[in-house]
Amino acid sequence: MAADPKMRFLVVDDFSTMRRIVRNLLKELGFTNVDEAEDGAIALQKLQGGGFEFVVTDWNMPNMDGLTLLQTIRATPTLKHLPVLMITAEAKKENIIAAAQAGASGYIVKPFTAGTLSEKLNKIFEKMGQA
Amino acid sequence: MSDFAGMEDLLQDFLQEAYDLLSDVDNKLVDLERMPDDRGLLNDIFRGFHTVKGGAGFLNASELVTLCHLTENLFDRLRNGELELTPELMDVIMAATKGVRDMFGELGQMVMPQPADPTVIAALQGALSGQMPGAAPPPASASAPPAEPVPAKAAASAPPGSGGEPDWQALHATLTGQPAGAAVTQGELITKAEAAPAPAPAPAGAVAPVAGDPPGTPSPFGRRATDRPGGQPTSARRAEERGGRESTIRVDTSRLDQVLNLSGEIGLTKNRLTSLRADILAGKNDSETLHALDQAVSQLDLLVSDLQNSVMKTRMQPIGRLFQKYPRIARDLARQLGKDVELVLAGEETEVDKTMIEDLADPLIHLIRNAVDHGVEMPLERQAAGKPAKSLVRLEARQEGDHIVLIIADDGKGISAERIRAKAVEKGLISEEEANTLDERQSLNLILLPGFSTKSEISDVSGRGVGMDVVQTNIQKLNGSIEIRSEPGKGSVIMISLPLTLAILPVLLVLLGDQPFALPLSLVREILPIERERVQEVGGKETLVVRGEVLPVISLARLLGWPLARYPEYGVFMQTAERSFILAVDSFAGRDDAVIKSLEDFRPKGVAGVTTLSNGQIVLILDMKELLADLGQHPDMAASLRALAAA
Repeated sequence: MAADPKMRFLVVDDFSTMRRIVRNLLKELGFTNVDEAEDGAIALQKLQGGGFEFVVTDWNMPNMDGLTLLQTIRATPTLKHLPVLMITAEAKKENIIAAAQAGASGYIVKPFTAGTLSEKLNKIFEKMGQA
Repeated sequence: MSDFAGMEDLLQDFLQEAYDLLSDVDNKLVDLERMPDDRGLLNDIFRGFHTVKGGAGFLNASELVTLCHLTENLFDRLRNGELELTPELMDVIMAATKGVRDMFGELGQMVMPQPADPTVIAALQGALSGQMPGAAPPPASASAPPAEPVPAKAAASAPPGSGGEPDWQALHATLTGQPAGAAVTQGELITKAEAAPAPAPAPAGAVAPVAGDPPGTPSPFGRRATDRPGGQPTSARRAEERGGRESTIRVDTSRLDQVLNLSGEIGLTKNRLTSLRADILAGKNDSETLHALDQAVSQLDLLVSDLQNSVMKTRMQPIGRLFQKYPRIARDLARQLGKDVELVLAGEETEVDKTMIEDLADPLIHLIRNAVDHGVEMPLERQAAGKPAKSLVRLEARQEGDHIVLIIADDGKGISAERIRAKAVEKGLISEEEANTLDERQSLNLILLPGFSTKSEISDVSGRGVGMDVVQTNIQKLNGSIEIRSEPGKGSVIMISLPLTLAILPVLLVLLGDQPFALPLSLVREILPIERERVQEVGGKETLVVRGEVLPVISLARLLGWPLARYPEYGVFMQTAERSFILAVDSFAGRDDAVIKSLEDFRPKGVAGVTTLSNGQIVLILDMKELLADLGQHPDMAASLRALAAA
């Protein structure tokens, strides 16, 4: 499935520099329709407002962490279809397993380049195309 | 060439945010000493290092990544109860935090951080492997390096394709670039970017992109793998060249929106005026047109002052950003001195001009050190005096009218006016007679004199006799003042009063012939006529007695090196920190709120800047201190005035 450049992303991270990095990387890949949220709780609010097609979230955040956000998304009928890419500095196997079990569409470890991000996104798009 | 070519913006953002995070971590560390088992605190601190590490990775700052990584792991163990927080461990953590701050400093100079102090790294690694003296040995399972392959049961716990979720083995394939079903091993799961809890510092390649990245992929931020720290001899020089000032500022978007909104309104009003001008030029000057003109101009007036206010507000920052550094400083110092001190902050939300915040940093540190070092007593001494062993130092900010007041108060032994006077006499700063005429308040102010220090032995912490006078000078540079109060046995209070902003300076406009000059109004006490017969000559100098006080009369013309065209009619009674005097001028043009424009790289002596009057005339704002410092000739001043007159 060719990605729609107008696809609306939500980038979730408590560190604004990181949100900017991800936003820049997405822009480099041609995705400019990006909104941001500071933690899982705010992200959930925004997502419930509708209109988002892709979630890129950090794991470790105050209030609601990325894993809880992911679990909540998967447990919400209106949101469960959303692809969720987890971004984190943790590359421990328990974390990857936990993310996979919670239904993450992909997992990417910081730091990464636009190339890596593109690769992960494409794999997710492919999967979505098959589904 | 910078180590961060092409990513300066990112670096700035990172540093600004990371400094805030680190200050927060510092404060939480201070709290942690009191509540070593608080999981919330441990979690927050863990997350602080974790976040910094994540950002540092994108900046390629591998040494910072390594240091944060080790510290983060330590907090992971602490929060999981696998390690116990001992005072020794706390010292290691404090040292690591300082290391991180030092690296921020290097990044601020656009230099790739050098490796952290090897003893700190070794101590962190030692603590992680349970070799910290006094640290509880971690359970064997936790200390074992996680080098074994993933146990099969991990895979089994997530059966492929369960419940319609993407099967995780396929996911792993996506993640690791390995074909699905391949034996999942440690090496594949844990990407090269993160040698996770491995005790060795991450190698230089540790921040390379995750596995599967095609080699040579151009980096999104132009980072260059060839830019490795190494010991560039230029780093130190570069560090000196750049001032420590932040060149960026964080502004609430709603404030920027307001500025935008107002400039839009001003644009509309300008359009209205343009059309009115066209009407008037075409000969239309009926009362309706003139009324409309009057209205438009009044509206513009209002809008412009609103805009000025809004722009000023964008420069205002909560002083808490400055305050948050201090609890850690106070704690470190108290520990060093064997005292038990808690620094209490209040009014952190008070907003102060950004430049002022930067200029206040050093004086405040000094005052806090003074309070901890000289102000409060040792715990035993306090108990003997019937006070709680723990002393309180309070740092407070609040706005009072158009002033900001900063208060540093301690509950220590107070300052004895008697001792201060004796010391000042002993040091030859004042004479015995002078000492006898000083009241309590004046005596306390003696500690602001250059060369004053009451502590007999010099401590390396605060007292070297070059302290309070520097604080005083710095505060005066900000047009502020200091007041000291003390009650022996109960404690001392130092109050600093500052104007809200430095951008607008209330001035008094005086005339010399037809030439106006602006004097800072804060120095003006009163204006009085100079009656020639009352001027007395004392020792060849003209003086005037005002309410029993003998004041020198200094002619502004003479200060500027101008010929005295006629005898000045008015005197401005001025008071600077050093002296009181009467400045003789010809006449006055009123008072004004001057918007100071600096003269860029052209700065004649005695001129603080220029401002423009409503009629478009340019006026020099005089720096009285500089003018008085040298009562001789001011050729460059005279030249600049000639240049001005010719313009």
